[in-house]
Amino acid sequence: MKAILGRRSIRKFTGEKIPDEDVKKFLEAAMAAPSACNQQPWHFVVIEDKKSFNKIMEIQPYTRMLEKASHAIVVCADPELQTCPGFWVQDITAATENLLLAVHALGYGATWCGIYPNDNPVWGIRELLSLPKNIMPLNVIAIGVPDEEKPPSDRYKEERVHNEKW
Amino acid sequence: MEAIEAIMTRRSIRKYKSKKIPDEIITTLLKAAMNAPSAHNKQPWHFIVVDDYETKMDVTEYHQYSKMLEQASHAIVVLGDNEIQTTDFWIHDCSAATENILIAANALGLGAVWLGVHPNEALIEGTKKLFDIPAHVTPLGIISLGYPDETKPARQNYNQERVHRNNW
Repeated sequence: MKAILGRRSIRKFTGEKIPDEDVKKFLEAAMAAPSACNQQPWHFVVIEDKKSFNKIMEIQPYTRMLEKASHAIVVCADPELQTCPGFWVQDITAATENLLLAVHALGYGATWCGIYPNDNPVWGIRELLSLPKNIMPLNVIAIGVPDEEKPPSDRYKEERVHNEKW
Repeated sequence: MEAIEAIMTRRSIRKYKSKKIPDEIITTLLKAAMNAPSAHNKQPWHFIVVDDYETKMDVTEYHQYSKMLEQASHAIVVLGDNEIQTTDFWIHDCSAATENILIAANALGLGAVWLGVHPNEALIEGTKKLFDIPAHVTPLGIISLGYPDETKPARQNYNQERVHRNNW
C-alpha cells in the first residue's frame, strides 16, 4: 500500500546506473499485469544508450528528465497478439503501472511519458528503435536513481466517488 | 505484504466468501486508484461503488463475463470523464487507476477481477444505462471484489523474448 500511495513522478536523477537485476525485476512486475483473455500483448525496449536518450528528447520534449536517467523503457504493444481485440491499450497501461510501482518499491524513481496516440512521437520512436510496422510504442518510462524527494500527494477526491448509481 | 510481492502474486479471483468488505477498506482502494499517474496529472476518473445485490445482478444480464458478481462483496465501475481528459489518454489514466485497485486489493487480502467494458459498444451502453452515466463520461471497466474463496499460485509470465536491448 505504501508503494502505491507514495509513488510520485520523479524527474530528477543522480545519473547513477541501476543494476541489471533490478531492471529485470521491473520487467517481471510489468509482465505480471492482467490482460484481457491473458493475451499479454506487450514488448519492452530497454535503453541505456545516451545517444538514444538524446534522440528521444528531440522526438518527445516531455522526456527531458532522460538527461540523467539510468534507463528508458519503451513499452510497446503488438496488437496482433490479441485474442480479445480492442483491449491492448488497457493491457499495456496496466503493465506500465506495475512497472512504475516496482521502480518506486525498489527505491528508484520514474516518470511515465505518453507517446501513443500522438502520431508524431509514435513515428519518431518507431524509426529510432527500428520497430516493425505492427508494433505500437505507447510510452517511454524514464527511470533513475532519485535526486529529489517528494512527499506522498493526497489525490483522493470524495466527489469522484458515487454510490450505487451516478 | 510488500509491494513487489503484491504485484507478483496478483491473480484474477472469481470466487468469494460471503463476507462484506468494510467501507474503510473500499476507501483505501479508491485512494490507491486516485494516486495513479495520469497524463498532465488530469486525474479524469470517477468510480461508482456498488454493493446492492440487484444492481450487481443487473450487470450480469448484459455482461457475459460478470457471473462472479453474484458472490462478490462489491463492484467498482471505473469511468473516465472526457471533458477533463479530452484525448484518448483517459484510457491510460483509468487503466493505471484500475491496476492500482487490483494490486491494493491483493495487498489487503482481497480478491479481484477486472471486467472489460470499453471499447465494446454494447457493454458501454449497458453500463451507461444501468448506472445513469452522463454523456461525457465513459465506463472503462468494472472491478469485482470480495474475500477470496480460491487460491491461485503466482504466474510466471516473464518472457525474455519480449525484452529488447537498445533497439528492436
